[in-house]
Amino acid sequence: MAPSLGNFALWLSLFFAISQFFISKNNNLKLIKISVNGLIISSLISFFLLMYSHVVSDFSVLNVFQNSHTTKPLLYKISGIWGNHEGSMLLWILVLTIFNYFIFKLYNKKNSTFISKTLETQAFITTGFILFTILTSNPFERMFPTQENGLGFNPILQDPALAIHPPLLYIGYVGFSAAFSISIATLSLENSEKIPWHIYMKPFVLAAWTFLSIGIALGSVWAYYELGWGGWWFWDPVENASFMPWLLGTALLHSLIIVEKRRSLQAWVLLLSILAFLLSVVGTFLVRSGILTSIHTFALDPSRGVYILAFTALLGGYSLILFGTKSKKYFDNNYFTFFSKEGSILINNILMVVVCATVFLGTVYPLLIEAFTNNKISVGEPYYNSTVIPIMIPAILVMGIGPILGWGKENKSKIIKKILPSILLTTILTIFIFLIYQSYSIVGIAGIILAFWIISNNLIILIKKNKNYSIGMIVAHLGVGLLILGITGSSVWQEEKITRMKIDSETKIEKYNIVFEKINEIRGTNYVALQGNFLIYDEKKNIIAKLKPENRFYPITNNFTTEASIHTNLFRDLYIVLGEGNLNDGWVVRIYYNPLVIWIWIGALVIFLGGITSININLKKLKILSQ
Amino acid sequence: MKKKLLIIPPLLFLLILLTFFYLLIIERNPSEIPSNLLDKSVPNFETESLLKKERFISSKEFGKEIMLVNFFATWCLPCRDEHIYIKRFSDEKGIRVIGINYKDNPKKATQWLKDMGNPYSNVPIDKYGKIAIDWGVYGIPETFIISSEGIIKYRHVGSVTKKIYKKINLLIKEIE
Repeated sequence: MAPSLGNFALWLSLFFAISQFFISKNNNLKLIKISVNGLIISSLISFFLLMYSHVVSDFSVLNVFQNSHTTKPLLYKISGIWGNHEGSMLLWILVLTIFNYFIFKLYNKKNSTFISKTLETQAFITTGFILFTILTSNPFERMFPTQENGLGFNPILQDPALAIHPPLLYIGYVGFSAAFSISIATLSLENSEKIPWHIYMKPFVLAAWTFLSIGIALGSVWAYYELGWGGWWFWDPVENASFMPWLLGTALLHSLIIVEKRRSLQAWVLLLSILAFLLSVVGTFLVRSGILTSIHTFALDPSRGVYILAFTALLGGYSLILFGTKSKKYFDNNYFTFFSKEGSILINNILMVVVCATVFLGTVYPLLIEAFTNNKISVGEPYYNSTVIPIMIPAILVMGIGPILGWGKENKSKIIKKILPSILLTTILTIFIFLIYQSYSIVGIAGIILAFWIISNNLIILIKKNKNYSIGMIVAHLGVGLLILGITGSSVWQEEKITRMKIDSETKIEKYNIVFEKINEIRGTNYVALQGNFLIYDEKKNIIAKLKPENRFYPITNNFTTEASIHTNLFRDLYIVLGEGNLNDGWVVRIYYNPLVIWIWIGALVIFLGGITSININLKKLKILSQ
Repeated sequence: MKKKLLIIPPLLFLLILLTFFYLLIIERNPSEIPSNLLDKSVPNFETESLLKKERFISSKEFGKEIMLVNFFATWCLPCRDEHIYIKRFSDEKGIRVIGINYKDNPKKATQWLKDMGNPYSNVPIDKYGKIAIDWGVYGIPETFIISSEGIIKYRHVGSVTKKIYKKINLLIKEIE
């Protein structure tokens, strides 16, 4: 019953999406309202009915059969919905309709044509994705005869961070769809330069950027805790697919400030918002079509790939040609002075776009090479480390100075006076850190100084309660500083030790002595595991932690996973992974000493809080505008 | 801003999408890594044979006619799936197939070939997987086409399906 109703609701949402597309042209408030509400309600219903089917383990639904099992914990029964391609499309549609609803909320007498046009584009995008889901990946597909139990869920995906990672990421991706639609409406309407479109666009960009940030961070958390590779970022094509829209989103967010304060860069902002969404869709394509391999790729199916590709071509072709023909009136010939807030934002913009292009090149280069020469190559960490880092360092430097500069021309002697306290604080903190880690490399020193520079700048502004600055921005920038601190520490000072250990043997990493105490067999809800017990001693021979990495076996899906065990404090993580082995020969054990990792997560969380604060402030601006 | 420049973004965008499209429709396996041994002679090895008394000496076996080399084991389920196609190569097409028995129990392997039918003209035993290392095998089943000069012409990772069966037949004709 539930699956049939869910399927019906999905078709109903297709109907509402199509009708919204046609009704928006006529700008009839009543009809628009019906279709917007109908769309969000029907997609909510279909989403929750799929959730219901997963929760009660209705194995007559193919999607539930393939991805679930009665023994699966409830949390993962729910997150299992978006842990597979079909279900995640339903979530994607739901988020699209929610943003659609928020766009509609902006509707008033003054901007009715503009919002209608935006809703028309949004309806087009929504229709495209619903059609895609129904035609190529319907999650409500049934199977007969009904099976006793499901195939189970890839155990590597059973992780709390991963349970909420996709929804957050989708809010990010889909948020850019709203900016895209607003951009299309601005370009296609004749007199939209009179409409404050950038004020409408900003909360959506902020929301997209904020949730994309935390979504990416949670993906990293998952990779760090679950994959057991000792790192948190692997330049995997799918990670890149989320990183690229984030970079453009960052540029977009900052350019919007210039549009707001200076009425410059309008054409640039319109282009960026188009590209940010296109990159999100291209990212989806890369993940869903099986065109490249990565730990994330979903089941291979070329027909899906062809559909998304055609849809992307349509969206991209239309929007970019529209931009090419209609953007002329948004170009300006304003020049910025280098030493000003707008100057620094502009530099940052260029650098972000260059990083994005670099990552894009690295991601698609193997595909281009294969298409044109039939050779296979792979682009990995060395490429990204040697290209992205050198471009990021000046970007971070500018980020440290930009916010304290004023608009227009700035008196240089005044600046020095302004930044003196943060120079002092930076010096002290940097010396402190190097006294602890006593490891000197150029990248390490540069990263740490930059991180502390940003942290102290923003901390001082925060403490002084300076009203000239947006609090959301200061908090988010502080978060970026903390993030850089963590990234630098964990990548420059990481130590790795791979060794074979027998029971009662010991090994040393940094100043810690690690003793392999014993190994136990344990039983979880849907797995059995070998659990190693390791005692960690510090220099004074005190036990500071007992780490229990596991080697799990999930009989239902016939999978092995490793559960790293990690001891965290503010200065470092100790990270142990249990490998293969037996009682006679001992076990292969990988031990990592990862300095400052926790600051990556703290930084991401602070960025998120800053973003949320900013969204709030901008929503208030919107309210004032509509009054 | 010159108007002509504005044509670059859509063109670039469509060019990239066209490349993606091309890659989607051609037959390719993105996780496949090309073998370094392609167009090189088969690695030399010597080992016991599962079915014959005399030792298997690679230099005596290869280099007379086009042959297939198939790595298999009784514990490998995909090997069971591809077995009918391996049989069709030897029964219908008359191609000699060498089946290298990878990390297996010889008794089980003999029984397996008795039950399922033996498509192999010879079955060298690779008890510890050392031969497989020389061939660059990273997961069985794997199948190689060897030319009449003893050169490795093609490698397929994974089980032979209907599609791959046809492809290998075509390739063999081409090489001939």
